[in-house]
Formats: sequence, C-alpha cells, structure tokens
Amino acid sequence: MPQFDFTNVFWPQLFWLALFFIVLYFGIVRLTLPRLGKVMDERAAKIDGDLEAARAAKESADELTERYRAELEKSRDEARGNIAAAKAEAAKASEARLAKAEADSAAKIDAAEARIADATAKAHESLRGVAIEGAQAIIAKLTNNQPSTDAVSGAVDAAMAR
Amino acid sequence: MNPMHQFEIVKLHPLAAGGYDISFTNSALWMAIALGAIAIFMFVGTAKPQLVPGRWQAAVEYVYDFVTSMLDENVGPEGKRYAPLIFAVFMFVLVCNLLGLLPWVGAFTPTSHVTVTIGLAFIVFTVVCVVGFMRHGLHFFSLFWPKDANIALGLFVFVIEVLSFLSRPFTLAIRLFANMTAGHVLLKVFGTFVVALGSFNALPYVFGVLPLAVNVALTALELLIAVVQAYVFALLASLYLNDAVNLH
Repeated sequence: MPQFDFTNVFWPQLFWLALFFIVLYFGIVRLTLPRLGKVMDERAAKIDGDLEAARAAKESADELTERYRAELEKSRDEARGNIAAAKAEAAKASEARLAKAEADSAAKIDAAEARIADATAKAHESLRGVAIEGAQAIIAKLTNNQPSTDAVSGAVDAAMAR
Repeated sequence: MNPMHQFEIVKLHPLAAGGYDISFTNSALWMAIALGAIAIFMFVGTAKPQLVPGRWQAAVEYVYDFVTSMLDENVGPEGKRYAPLIFAVFMFVLVCNLLGLLPWVGAFTPTSHVTVTIGLAFIVFTVVCVVGFMRHGLHFFSLFWPKDANIALGLFVFVIEVLSFLSRPFTLAIRLFANMTAGHVLLKVFGTFVVALGSFNALPYVFGVLPLAVNVALTALELLIAVVQAYVFALLASLYLNDAVNLH
C-alpha cells in the first residue's frame, strides 16, 4: 500500500496538511464563522424578543378582556339594583293609592249607611203617626166614641214593639 | 490495473526544507482544492450576513448549526468555544472525502492516506490535551482514575485508561483512512470488472453493464460514507473534547 511508504509520503503530506489547516482555521473559519454566529445570535434574540412582545400583547389583551368582563358584571349588577328599586317604589306607590281609594269608599259607605238609617227612622215615625190616626178613626167609627190619643198611641207602641 | 495505484503520491513540484522532503504532491494539490472550495463556500456564504439568510448563507448556517448542536449535546454550554475548530476539522474531512469521489478528473483523496488522517487526529488530540491541562491542571489525570476503587484495581484501570486515551488519535486516524481506502479500492475493482467483462469479444459491452450498475450504487454508498465518516470524526473529536472540558 502506498500509504505505508512513509519515507516518501509522510513529510510532504504532513507539511502541507499543517500549512493548509492553519490557513483553514485562522484564514477562513476564524474570519467568517464569528460574523455568521453574530447574525444567528441576533436572529435568535430578535425571535425571542418578538415572542416576548407577542406574549406581553396577549397578556395585556387577556387583562383587558378580564377588565371588560368585570365592568360588564358591575353594570349588570347596577342595572339589576335599579330595576329592583324601581319595582319597590312602584309597589309602594300603588299600595298607597289603593289604601286611599279604600278609605274613600269606606267613608262613602258610612255616609250612605247613615242616610239609610235616618230614612228608616223617619219612615218608622211616620208609620206610627199613620197607625195612631188610623186606629183613632176606626175606633171612632165603631164606637162613636173618640178615644184619647194617649191610650191609642200606647196600644200602637205595644203592637209595634211586637 | 492495480487498485492501489490511485493512492500513489506523485511529486508535482519537488521541494525540500531543512533536510525534510516537503514536495508539493497530488495529495497537497487536492488538499489545496478542498481548501479553495471551503474558502468559496465560507466567504460567499458570509459575505453579507443577513437576518433572513440567502441560499449560500443558509447552507453555511446549516453546517454551523449542525456542529454547534453536536457540541452542545456532547460537551454542553462550554462546547460553543470549540465550534470553529470542530467546524474546520469537519469541513476539511468532508470536502476532502467528497472531492475524492469526483470521476474523470483524476481526483485524489487525501483522507485515504493515514499520514493525513493521523495529522488531523493529532490536531484534535493536542487540543484535547491542552484544554484538559489548562482547565484542570494535573487534576486532568483523574480522568484515568476510577472513582471508588482500591489502589490495586485503580492502578490496573489507570494503565488501561491511559493506553486507551493514547490510542485515540490512532483509532481516529485509522477509522477514517481505512474507510476511505476500502471504498476507493472497491470502486476501482468494480471499475476494472467493467472493462474486463465488457471487452468480451463475442458479445461486447453486455457483461460490463452489471459491474457498472454496481459501481453506480457503490458511488452512492461512498457518498454516504464520505459524509458519515466526516461526521464520525467530528463527533468523536467533540466527545474527546468533552472529556477534557468536563472530566467525569
């Protein structure tokens, strides 16, 4: 194998390998790779920054949504309170009106009842007079004797009390 | 044709320095071509680095990302510092492996030479030792000492661990060299079958088709092996670095 013919093969290859590798490392890789590494780091940083910004934006959006929801809940509660208050007020007002109307009609009923009682008493009185006169006239016709008013009225009262 | 002929080193420009033969050979030429290819790839890819990468930049970033994530998995957060080294080793092995598979142009595969792979392996080994001693000082030797063991067993394991540590560059080098050599020998053997069977006079070409089809499939396999072996080399290098950086 020519590879093991070291007297002819070793130094020429090793010398040029060393030279070329030094050129490769210091003249090519060391010059170019850091530039690329810098850009790749920048890119990674930019992507991380963008992701971070997106995360922050999402967080603030979430917070806004939360606040919106809370606000909505609060105004809903307020509206519910308003409705309840209005309902209570309306109920109170109608109750008061009802009570007043009841009182009015009770007064009217009382007045009417009083009038009825009055009329009944008057009718009673006039009935007694008619009965006494009628009884005097009947007794006078039958006996030709005029009875005393006192006697007749006593008899009428006794009969009416029955 | 001798299937080993493709590994022959040809001196293109004889040179010598300090008594050492440092001739520019076909191996050096293909290392230079690999270097040029990597240079184009890297300099075009990072000419104007942008947040939204173009095609070239995306390609370089892909390889870079591959290396850094490998280091991150095997070494941890400290590993990123060694990304340029592992990147350079990975790219060099990968491009040498791949360029060696080019047909027609007389491609030579530097990584099929144990000299080249052992040179690369010793670069990794040296860095591992330097990093280990710089980070942990003499404490680095505790890498070889088993935890909770008595002296006799500890010494026994210590010897084994030291030997296995010292054999690492050789296994690393020989794995790559053997894979590349075997693949190229296989391709060449089936290539000679194409010629030998295809030149059957009574029925020309017909019998050459089968080994040719095999060679096409083998070329695909060799492409895979070229990439996988570069990956394995870089992966083992980062695992060895992990030992030096984190001890146990």
